[in-house]
Amino acid sequence: MSSAPTTPPTEKPPESAKAFPILKERTRFFGLTLDETIRAFFGGNAITAVVVLALITFFLFKEGSAFFGLNRESVTLYRKAGLEYVDYMRAQQESHTALTRYLFDIRLRAVSELTGKDGLSVAEANARLTAFDDFAGRYSDTIEPIRGMVSELTDVAVSIKDKYTINEDAKTERAQFLAAGMTAEADAVRIIEIDFKAELAPLVGVTPVYIETANGVATAITEVLASPPALPVPALDYRLTRFKELNRQFLATFPETRRLVETWDFQKPVPVLDTVTGFLFGRQWLTASFWQDWYGILPLFIGSLMVSIIALTLAVPLGVGAAIYINQFASLREQRVIKPAIEFISAIPSVVLGFFGIAVLGSVLRAWSQQALTLPEFLQGIPLVSWVLGLPLHALNAIAPHIPGFPFSERLNSLTAGCLLALIAVPTIFTLAEDALNNVPRSFKEASFALGASRMQTIMRIIVPASLSGIVSAVLLGLGRVIGETMVVLLCAGNRISIPDFSEGLSVFVQPVHTMTGIIAQEMGEVVRGSIHYRALFMVGLVLFFLALLINFFAQKIVRKYRISIG
Amino acid sequence: MSEPSNPFATKPSTGRSLEKVVLGIFRAATYFVLLCGLAIFADIVLKGLPTVANAFKTTSTFPYVTNTFLFEAPESLYVFEHEGKKLEMGDREFRAFREAEEAKAAAAKQPAPKFKPESYVYSAGGIWPCIVGTVLLVVGSMSIALFLGVCSAIYLNEYAKDGPVVRFIRLAILNLAGVPSIVFGLFGFGMFVIFFGWNVSLMAGWFTLAFMVLPVVITASEESLKAVPKGFREGSLALGATKWQTIRKNVLPYALPGILTSSILGIARVAGETAPIMFTAAYVVRDKLPWDVEKSADFFFQGVMALPYHIYVVSSKIPQNEYTARVQYGTAFVFLGIVATIAMSSIIFRNKLRSRYKW
Repeated sequence: MSSAPTTPPTEKPPESAKAFPILKERTRFFGLTLDETIRAFFGGNAITAVVVLALITFFLFKEGSAFFGLNRESVTLYRKAGLEYVDYMRAQQESHTALTRYLFDIRLRAVSELTGKDGLSVAEANARLTAFDDFAGRYSDTIEPIRGMVSELTDVAVSIKDKYTINEDAKTERAQFLAAGMTAEADAVRIIEIDFKAELAPLVGVTPVYIETANGVATAITEVLASPPALPVPALDYRLTRFKELNRQFLATFPETRRLVETWDFQKPVPVLDTVTGFLFGRQWLTASFWQDWYGILPLFIGSLMVSIIALTLAVPLGVGAAIYINQFASLREQRVIKPAIEFISAIPSVVLGFFGIAVLGSVLRAWSQQALTLPEFLQGIPLVSWVLGLPLHALNAIAPHIPGFPFSERLNSLTAGCLLALIAVPTIFTLAEDALNNVPRSFKEASFALGASRMQTIMRIIVPASLSGIVSAVLLGLGRVIGETMVVLLCAGNRISIPDFSEGLSVFVQPVHTMTGIIAQEMGEVVRGSIHYRALFMVGLVLFFLALLINFFAQKIVRKYRISIG
Repeated sequence: MSEPSNPFATKPSTGRSLEKVVLGIFRAATYFVLLCGLAIFADIVLKGLPTVANAFKTTSTFPYVTNTFLFEAPESLYVFEHEGKKLEMGDREFRAFREAEEAKAAAAKQPAPKFKPESYVYSAGGIWPCIVGTVLLVVGSMSIALFLGVCSAIYLNEYAKDGPVVRFIRLAILNLAGVPSIVFGLFGFGMFVIFFGWNVSLMAGWFTLAFMVLPVVITASEESLKAVPKGFREGSLALGATKWQTIRKNVLPYALPGILTSSILGIARVAGETAPIMFTAAYVVRDKLPWDVEKSADFFFQGVMALPYHIYVVSSKIPQNEYTARVQYGTAFVFLGIVATIAMSSIIFRNKLRSRYKW
């Protein structure tokens, strides 16, 4: 304590220093006493958490932020080299291919119907479908003119793009030579400026031809559709009607494509905002393609979301149910065993769970979906045990056909990953929900009992509502864990980068997906440092980071806002 | 009606039977979770244990017994047919065998036998480098995390007065706890590997993992510090000790066991995480053991093999069949065993501690 003297300094006798021996000169570091230094040291350590958060944000931004610029360049080149122009036509061709597939699907169903229900042999079934096959063949041929054009134009566009890329490489080479002071070598590097307009001339020149061809294709399709064959399976007629309806929609897009092709301008600038929305709402994550790379986070985000939905649907009832049971019903001895046991589950490393998914769970779930669950071999030999354990298996097999989405053929899909993630989320949800239930004051319960409520009424109407904020935040934190989990989804989610087909109802949940965490873990090791792909992965990391912060923020807010005042 | 019925006896009612049903559902949920955990545990232990148990071998030197799975480096596995028998051999053994056979054939003046082996990488040998790497990663990162975490907790619990700064720090700690582990991996890659130029190294892994478990350690330490009664501090201060003397002599010694045991849970987390070390510290394969370095400084800047990453590699990069399952389950079993032992000891120590200190 260094307090200012209030009285003017008087003449001190020299003995007074001895009379008060505690008064001594303190060691000082940078003007701080020892205690203050220690305090500052600990304070500095406490700041670490803040610093680390700031550093994470900074480094993710540092590595990721260049993505938008690079992506804009890439999209600009996509336009300048005419790839965009070709893609308009390609889209048309691809929709047609999808429709052809639809026809094949009808055929497949018809064959299975004929061979299954009507008991025909495959050859006979095929014979009955000749008229249909002829129709399908004629239909699939209608697009040929456009297909031919697209493949020709593809070559042109790719060659322009390649020329540009080679030129850019030459430019960087020259810049490096110049930087190193090697002027002679730098001059030797040949750079040909590309005149996009001239290069694109053969491409844009085909516009009138295209319009004519497209009209021809439209007429051909209408003609083919005018004489549909009679299907030998009347039950599938509605599909043929649906096919016609789809074709009508397809033909309706022709004028729009024509407009796009006609008004296409290679010099139209790419707005900066487009690269941002293209990343956040882009429906394609396509890398290392010869044509054009797309970095849209949507398929990955939807994958993460679907896996999380499955995980939480399973984990919330289990976790909250277990918390209520342990907190309200279980005996003290049961509590002492079960609580550490569930904590123990949370210690199982996620990579081990992922391995379990690959090695066991995936196959088991698939077997269940195909009603083929069996006991492991070593149990089958024991008569009584195999009978007792066989019963629930038979029951499971029996209900399998009634579960939407079953059967499925992919062993690794979002369901497999979701089940394992549920096991990761359960301990988190259980522990936090149990804490929340524990924090409800005893008096609430006692008052409820005193009013004559039964135990179930007390729990359902008093205790659970009182701790609801805590339970909800527990669920949110569980969601945070699930969305951020990497190894399980990387190993078990199937890793197919595409938006699942939502038109198939609940069976979307058994399709393979790829997730945000999974893509970082999978591709980070292989990308070139500083490339656009590398930056895109850091952007995905940034999205994940902010998503986690957002979830955390809501979890805390809910706890704070809806906490029941205890008093 | 010979006996008068008890008017206070519980009567069966729909409410009561409903209560039983709901209770049954809750109980079923609880035990279902435990059953799932147990099933996974049993599967891995049952299939993994034989790998370790069958790998014991006698040696001629001192301990006279060794375990080829635990204490050898991974090798490729060669499966081939020879003289009508199906043989499985590790890389070194296969080479020796081939040379021996060729020499035999040359002695008998016969054409050298042709082997057409199918090979499976990492499926023979053991996991010794991975165990070493994991231990090094855990020890290093926990030392850093414990130092930073305990100091932070001391500040937050002993020095700081509640105010905006402290609230901000606590908020940061809470948020740090929610950051996905893969984001830590990216951060470590961006900062330590690239910006600091440490490359894929132990140091980069240590710091990445340490920052990841920091919230766990801080929370655990703070709880232990809080558990030390106020009277201890007041008594010491009243005797004229300075704040630091009080903390050093009268708070930390009583809080330290608690800090350490709760931090063991952090150790389990560090040992179990794969995502943060994927790009910062782990190599798919490395021939040298970490202490085979030329300069001692190199020790800190080398990548290591690690158990969790090895499991990822063997379960995703090689096919699943009878030859590879051995090493896959064996690795998973050893790893799960290590982590489970750590977690179990944390839980046991904590229960013991609770009964030891009562004030």
